[in-house]
Amino acid sequence: MGGGQWPVVLIITPLIGAALTPILARRRPQIAGYWALFVFSIVTLAAGVLMYRVSTQGPFSYYMGGWRPPLGIELRFDEFSASIGVICLIGWLSLMFSLAYAKHALPERRIPYYFALVLLCLGGMNGFAVTGDIFNLFVFLEILSLSGYALVAITGERIAELAAFKYLVMGAISSLSILLAVGFMYALTGTLNMTDLAMRLRDVEPFPVAVAVGALTLGFSVKAALLPLHIWLPDAHSIAPSPVSAILSGLVVKIGVLGMLRMYQILYKAQIFDLSALNTTLMWLGAISIVLGALFAMVQEDIKMMLAYSTISNIGYIFMGLGLASKYGIIGASVHIFNHALIKATLFLGAGALIHQTGYRNLEDLRGVGKAMPITSAAIAIGAISIVGIPPTAGFLCKWYIALGAIEAGRLFFAVTLLFGALFIFVYYIRMLNAFYFMPPAHPEILDVGEAPVTMLIPIVVLAMLCLLMGIFGRIPLSFIEPAVTNMLAPIGG
Amino acid sequence: MRRALTLALLILASVPLLYAVSLLPPVGSEDNPTYTYVVPHYLEEGPEETGCENIVTAVILNYRGFDTGGEVTVIFTALMAVFGVLLIPRPAEKVRQPESAVPVSPVTLFIVRTLAPFIVVFSVYQIINGHSTPGGGFQGGTIIGALLIAASLVMGSERTQRLLPEGVRRWLQPAAVLMFAVVGVTGMLLFGEYLSYPIEGEYLFLRVPFLTLVEIGIGVGGAAIVASIFWAMEGSDG
Repeated sequence: MGGGQWPVVLIITPLIGAALTPILARRRPQIAGYWALFVFSIVTLAAGVLMYRVSTQGPFSYYMGGWRPPLGIELRFDEFSASIGVICLIGWLSLMFSLAYAKHALPERRIPYYFALVLLCLGGMNGFAVTGDIFNLFVFLEILSLSGYALVAITGERIAELAAFKYLVMGAISSLSILLAVGFMYALTGTLNMTDLAMRLRDVEPFPVAVAVGALTLGFSVKAALLPLHIWLPDAHSIAPSPVSAILSGLVVKIGVLGMLRMYQILYKAQIFDLSALNTTLMWLGAISIVLGALFAMVQEDIKMMLAYSTISNIGYIFMGLGLASKYGIIGASVHIFNHALIKATLFLGAGALIHQTGYRNLEDLRGVGKAMPITSAAIAIGAISIVGIPPTAGFLCKWYIALGAIEAGRLFFAVTLLFGALFIFVYYIRMLNAFYFMPPAHPEILDVGEAPVTMLIPIVVLAMLCLLMGIFGRIPLSFIEPAVTNMLAPIGG
Repeated sequence: MRRALTLALLILASVPLLYAVSLLPPVGSEDNPTYTYVVPHYLEEGPEETGCENIVTAVILNYRGFDTGGEVTVIFTALMAVFGVLLIPRPAEKVRQPESAVPVSPVTLFIVRTLAPFIVVFSVYQIINGHSTPGGGFQGGTIIGALLIAASLVMGSERTQRLLPEGVRRWLQPAAVLMFAVVGVTGMLLFGEYLSYPIEGEYLFLRVPFLTLVEIGIGVGGAAIVASIFWAMEGSDG
């Protein structure tokens, strides 16, 4: 082993930081934000070091307490774990955005708890991405889900509490189903380590494994809000404070997808049964999510509600890519995890800034805001163009890959669905941009509001730039994902 | 109708689950992998390698200590969630809490007061002896937490909270998370990995104190969190 303690820094620092937040901010709640930002800067540094290490040396392990698996818990840092890069980036920018936002949107007494919960959520996600042990995975899933439920309700509006409760009930069912699957796997093999599990699953009774796979798929699809398990998402994501929406929509739903990727890693390696039925189901549900998500988004008036439905549609793309089970399909899905996170964070933070400055959240009321807040509106426009997938922005590359994957798998129908989905998405974002730039304002006083405070503006601008750059430098995430997908599909000759 | 549908769905879902359970390796059979794979090592080497005569503690604090560290964080997250959702802005002036409609029975008050020291002694024993006998921080902490709730019910929350002033409470609530971090980082600096305990050599004497420290952290943190959640839900501040 020796040397690298960075995986520990990555996971433990945000948790310790969160534990200390209420103590430090007891007398002055406002310092909680700066403290959280400082703590998370250290975490981001650790993430940078770890990503550099995995890109130069390949995957590596860390044995907790020095106990080798299967005795103890292994942290396994592979290319999929590099998703901590996007977790840290969006987490850091959302925390920065929160500094000014929390002061305005939250009761003062709750501010320290808000920042503690955000740190816990981000730390939980880092742990989830890095662990190589399925029970440990569940523990981190609970940390991040629990903090997510509370963050939805933290503004204290009545409807927020209702949305959070719906989220909590659905989330608890999905966690339970994941825990059940973990229990089945342990009962069958006697091990919790993922690598070990893949080996030992080869010679066990296949039926209980199939049930466990079903339970995992159900659980992770609820977390990822795949149609028809999405019903908790629109309310939760639109009612939550905007930086929380960015984290939930950009990152937390992706945790469900990452969980699916981990499950596939084990299943492809174990090769105990044919996965084509599961893949076909995911592909169809993905296609239905794309179309219905986009259709629902088109009829929304509330800007954040529209973005929330658009998340469902984009999760559909990712699941379709996974279900295609061809190399390009999975690569496209994995890149879309990164790029959609960037784009959706841009859009939600941008929408947050608009709502923060104008006090309106309906498209009709927001007419003409393009003149009043040119920078924010431009950033939202870039995000909108990216999410439609117009080259050279970030969204183009992944949709292109997923379409290639569909053709590669001989599924032309799905490539067509993908194009139609992009068309629908285009329609509703055009509607939004039309309202911002070309319609006469419904409320004349909207022209007098200025841009948001600079700590809110910087994250939006940085994210918008990344949306553009990721289209041009799309090779960077690809360089992580391509070897990972090749490795994953190697046993089935993909 | 709706009820019938729900019932049908539940039955439909339970059939494959029950069938799958029937195919799992039977409990108690000697070739069940949960008994033959990792567990023999825990049983044979556990007390020697970890310093815990209680194998359950050896697993939860040592072999899989990182999971336990995560679980205490889940409990702490629950507290943060309760505070984040329930705490309302402090009123400008302290309003006196309305006395409960039914006066507390002197019998209950007497019993709680008389039993309190014994309850505390028992829970302290559970916490400190956790590494060698059944029990431990979680159990002991919950007992103290329950005692604090009982005391709040008979003496009123305000009087009970005076035992743990707010400044102290804020430190005790994350005690489990922080204690894990302290012991974990010390292990990392001295013995190589996070949450490592010495197996041999000159620091071996540190092992039992470290385990006890973690148990105390879990106990104190658990007690503070259980009581604080009760107080927050009652509306008298966490």
